[in-house]
Amino acid sequence: MQQDFPLVRMVNISKCFGAVRALNNVSIEVRHKEVLGLLGDNGAGKSTLIKILAGVFPPDGGEIYFNEEPVKFSSPKEARTRGIETVHQELSLVNIMTISRNFFLGREPTKRIGSIALLDKKKMDEECSRVIGEVGIRVRSPNEYVSILSGGERQAISIGRAMYFGAKLLILDEPMTALSVKETRKVIEHIEEARESGASIIFITHNVYHVYPVADRFIILNKGVKMGEFDKEEHQAEEIIEMVASSEGVL
Amino acid sequence: MRRVIQNLSLPLAQIRRWPEFGVILAFSTIFVFFSVLAPMFFTVRNLTGIFTIVSELGIMTIGIAFLMIAGEFDLSVSSVYAFAGFIFVTLGNSINSVLALLITLVAAGCIGFLNGTITLRARIPSFIATLGMMMFIRGIMMAITGGRTVAYHGDLIVPTLLTRFMGHGFRPSHIWFVALTVLFSLILTRTRYGNWVFATGGRKEVARSMGVNINRVKLINFIISSLMAGLAGCIAINRFAVANPSFGIGTELEAIASAVIGGTFLTGGHGTIIGAFFGAFLMGTIRIGLIMVGAPAYWYMAFVGAIVIIAATINIKLRRLEM
Repeated sequence: MQQDFPLVRMVNISKCFGAVRALNNVSIEVRHKEVLGLLGDNGAGKSTLIKILAGVFPPDGGEIYFNEEPVKFSSPKEARTRGIETVHQELSLVNIMTISRNFFLGREPTKRIGSIALLDKKKMDEECSRVIGEVGIRVRSPNEYVSILSGGERQAISIGRAMYFGAKLLILDEPMTALSVKETRKVIEHIEEARESGASIIFITHNVYHVYPVADRFIILNKGVKMGEFDKEEHQAEEIIEMVASSEGVL
Repeated sequence: MRRVIQNLSLPLAQIRRWPEFGVILAFSTIFVFFSVLAPMFFTVRNLTGIFTIVSELGIMTIGIAFLMIAGEFDLSVSSVYAFAGFIFVTLGNSINSVLALLITLVAAGCIGFLNGTITLRARIPSFIATLGMMMFIRGIMMAITGGRTVAYHGDLIVPTLLTRFMGHGFRPSHIWFVALTVLFSLILTRTRYGNWVFATGGRKEVARSMGVNINRVKLINFIISSLMAGLAGCIAINRFAVANPSFGIGTELEAIASAVIGGTFLTGGHGTIIGAFFGAFLMGTIRIGLIMVGAPAYWYMAFVGAIVIIAATINIKLRRLEM
């Protein structure tokens, strides 16, 4: 199914932190079922932009449209109920909790006994087992602690969780940092699977090589300004690196 | 042969996974130790006597453990314990004791609310905020009363509900302790709120990003910690029928030690209420046991100190196998 309007449109977004202008009239759109690479160096405004989209804080100016409907998120929870899920490398799972408890954190299923709502542990364990099986992680039980998992496995569970809860837009914040080559390939597979099941993905990175194999389109930010927008078909990775570098005045 | 060994080691591995394994083992060892050494130790009268002091310490420990799992401390519990006793006696001497108890618990809850608000708003460590609160409340009590003891001569409703003998040395406080242990254990392990408590203490940034209102969780747990300390204070005061402003000095550390012995992480995010229950029992058993084998009371501190270190070490080792 091909929609002719984009999933998300962010129009003329501005944001200041004190005297620092983090974003200056940035407009981006994310189409249905595409992987968008959001590129830029540290401090380029990538994180600020997606935090606005994920409801962490509001923009100072500009509008956001989700499926062409204007939205204003006052909390990450609100964004999440719309199907916008963020996966941070470091901020997705609690190490000293079990996989199953992490998986449902904030969205725990319950069953009522009289007027008391107790955790539906059976459902939690079963559903969690199914998803970790689907993303190809081998653990003895969903009651293992997250701390025994590798970085790649954590990413896989985070992505699996987002899809389980019906993510329409998956925001991945530097998902490849500190992963081995093999795990990087795994994460790319998970991203492709997510796209196939109907989600759009924003992939944030400062490293073009991380996102080049999987992205359909790229947007380059620098110092809070959008420097350019490119389709992959038209450009090689090296050209894009050059654009990132030149936009920063390195070349 | 190998299969046999695997079969044998399987139950052990499963038992070891219980977070309470360490404390139950330590408690059993100490219990057997004193039963053998002191002839009068293993008698109904003595065991219920231990139960009585353990209930008062233990109710406080439950609150402390619940808060520690959410990643915060409460050193003010010992002062709240004495403060609650004082308020109860003062009010109970002039009004209905049930009403006096309710007002006392509300006052204790307010101190918890204050602890939480100071910690979260001023963004200072709860260790410092509640240390200040501990000294502040104790100081005010000392100043107002001049250190005098106040006797309770109100009605017998609350004393009967909380701590009057029911036969064979059993008291209602034992039932309260067990009931509160079950209640808070259920809340922690079987409700959504419990999951949020673990996440808040385990990694508050993750909890927040997953939509948990971590400040609300912490505030509620501060209030629970104070409420439990207030209840423990009321129980103790009803047992003695007198209140003294120097009551319970140092019990905050005993309660924290009990929680740690029971497997609660000082750093938050992990722990059990059942463990805190046995932690408190371990403390009480050592205290009474040492008296019964005729050791001078000073040995209690030394013994508890050693147990805390050993228990914390064992717990960490056991957790390393899992995490």
